Amino acid sequence: MNILVVYCHPVAESFSAAIRDTAVEALQEAGHQVRLLDLYADGFDPVMGCDERRAYHTRDLNEAPVADHLALLRESDGLLFVYPTWWYGLPAMLKGWLDRVWVPHATFTLPEDGRPIRPLMTHIRFLGAVTTCGAPWWWSKFVGEPGRRTILRGIRALCARRCRTFWLAHYEMDSSTAESRAAFLARLQQKLVRVR
Amino acid sequence: MNVLVLFAHPVETSFQAALHARVVETLSDGGHTVDDCDLYAEDFDPRLTRSERLAYHDSAPDRSAIQPYIDRLQSAEALVLVFPVWNFGYPAILKGFFDRVFLPGVSFRMVDGQAVPALDHIRRVAAIVTYGGSRLRAILLGDPVRRSVARVLRAQTAGAPLRYLAQYDMNRSTDARRRRFLDRVGVEMGRFG
Repeated sequence: MNILVVYCHPVAESFSAAIRDTAVEALQEAGHQVRLLDLYADGFDPVMGCDERRAYHTRDLNEAPVADHLALLRESDGLLFVYPTWWYGLPAMLKGWLDRVWVPHATFTLPEDGRPIRPLMTHIRFLGAVTTCGAPWWWSKFVGEPGRRTILRGIRALCARRCRTFWLAHYEMDSSTAESRAAFLARLQQKLVRVR
Repeated sequence: MNVLVLFAHPVETSFQAALHARVVETLSDGGHTVDDCDLYAEDFDPRLTRSERLAYHDSAPDRSAIQPYIDRLQSAEALVLVFPVWNFGYPAILKGFFDRVFLPGVSFRMVDGQAVPALDHIRRVAAIVTYGGSRLRAILLGDPVRRSVARVLRAQTAGAPLRYLAQYDMNRSTDARRRRFLDRVGVEMGRFG
């Protein structure tokens, strides 16, 4: 598969960067072509501006500001997000990438003639996220993991009907140890080399 | 009450802008002191920076870049969010407000290893929300944004009572439905407090 890894963290020496490197290597080892999108390094602007919002529903016109990113999506069979969970959700930078790039007519159809929204990213058959959470597992579950839902349910609904999903999170990051982090990377590696 | 209104829509002629205007007007008429924070108009940058992330857990970090927003949040006795649901969540500009301003010592304190809410001066929370898709679609997708408000934000504000006013299916909305929702928001904001 062509897999696009969307990476979002402001600190180059963060644990998220180690997750990114492990993920990219493991996916390559499994025989996939990996493209990396580093939103902070690219200086991506996550704020959808006034003109862009006005054109949001207009076919073609709405693709112009993010044409490069849509081209990347169209060339990808798989997507893997690597990011820290902040306040149980995606960092604003990554949320803004979804807001600006996943536009109608390109990634889904608007409802017409009584038909509901339909997915258009149906060539994407693998969708995953690897993240770090400050909160414990049980509290994250109670809160309902809005970040996880956004990707594994919201974005998932715009992908292939049989799209496979993948989720791995290191909880309680603030009390993590060198051992817990190493074990997490090893687990990630083992799981991702099996992605076919 | 001192009410901090957080508004997140870029287009002045949008339905969201009409909702925002109605909220601010009704609250002011009701005798509240409104701090109207229009994130787009204020050109808020939602990206948590490298230096902010590195200093996140410091005991005496340099927060000068964001301090005015911290002061405004700390003066608030009520919080009203007015925003469109984009891709099942907050618009990035609003999510970034939480990322950058809801900091340790501001929105929570660590007491004996437990995070304790520090926004307990906020006694009321309301969210005025518009969804593109239907209510059924929101429910099927697990409605992440409602959880972000009803669970995350309410935990941060020590369980302050919440009014969540949502208009669904904006993609197929009509003038009549929009007018009804606008009126409902006016009535709710008239008895807010």
